[in-house]
Amino acid sequence: MDVKLLNPFIQAAVEVLKAEVSAEVTRGDISMQKSSLTSDDITVLINLVGDVYGVVMYGLHKTTCLHLVSKIMGQEFTELNSLAQSGMAELGNVISGQATIRFSETGYTSNISTPTVLTGKGVEISTLDFPRIVVPLTTQYGVLTVHLALRVKKPGEPHTPDEFISLITAPPLKKGS
Amino acid sequence: MNVKFLNPFVGSAYDILSLEMKETIQRGDLRLDNGAYKTDDVTVIISLVGAVDGSVFYSMSKEVAVGLASILMGEKFEALDRLAQSGIAELGNVITGQASMKLAEAGYESNISTPSLIIGKGATISTLEFPRLIVPLFTSLGSLTIHLALREGLQSNLKTSQIKIPKVEF
Repeated sequence: MDVKLLNPFIQAAVEVLKAEVSAEVTRGDISMQKSSLTSDDITVLINLVGDVYGVVMYGLHKTTCLHLVSKIMGQEFTELNSLAQSGMAELGNVISGQATIRFSETGYTSNISTPTVLTGKGVEISTLDFPRIVVPLTTQYGVLTVHLALRVKKPGEPHTPDEFISLITAPPLKKGS
Repeated sequence: MNVKFLNPFVGSAYDILSLEMKETIQRGDLRLDNGAYKTDDVTVIISLVGAVDGSVFYSMSKEVAVGLASILMGEKFEALDRLAQSGIAELGNVITGQASMKLAEAGYESNISTPSLIIGKGATISTLEFPRLIVPLFTSLGSLTIHLALREGLQSNLKTSQIKIPKVEF
């Protein structure tokens, strides 16, 4: 994965965490992982579609998540209920949205998908042949780990469903039906 | 969820599975679920972004995944290794790709994301306020379930960079 895709996300995460929960963020060591990710208590998964495409995941521990969400929503959460999950999803959404704005400033246009929230420790999330860059961000609330499995679309390379069909012989589409 | 988004997915899955497995597959009863989804052994997650927004999951047991991968890739798999996993992800991709083309023909242009694969039973996946439409498909190997959490895109023609995000204070 291209490292220039990394900074927009880290900057966005640092700024959003600072603005939303006045967090002092320290960046941990960056690592590259090719194996699948083993999920933490809560993982927010957001896909990017466009010039930069792939998936971004935000993984965190339950207590970290509860601290963050309590602070953002201004009410105390003691369990990961649907409101808490939706608060966390929104945080992932805002960080990813900000990061794509930074991409667009450098000429890459991407759209982000709606977030999906995975709760439950220990399942494997595979991004297949996309290696992941893993960045732990430490705050006073705990650690938020950002996983980036992104690629830049090469010029002239269409990111349309057509490109996937070659591998499996799919029936032809009826045009105009 | 808008039911007109359902048929392209069920139709594509039906066409592709029938063709690959050389058998007639059966569709089970539809149901709508507002709760979170408890994962089966293998789940493929693909998002749609555009005039249709949301996520599609394809879930199945490990046996079905290994069996399907063996048929799709034309070689016998014993376990769900990396290659088998990529075969299953590819199946999700192809079904979603065909469905998105059908949706585009109906005037709903969307892009699909790369697939992610969740392996492991019992985790919970929430699509938040999106209810899921669930369609089981039965094959001779076992069942494959399609979960659709889709809605008409709110900003169908807007790029992310045009969507207003609250001003960040420094």
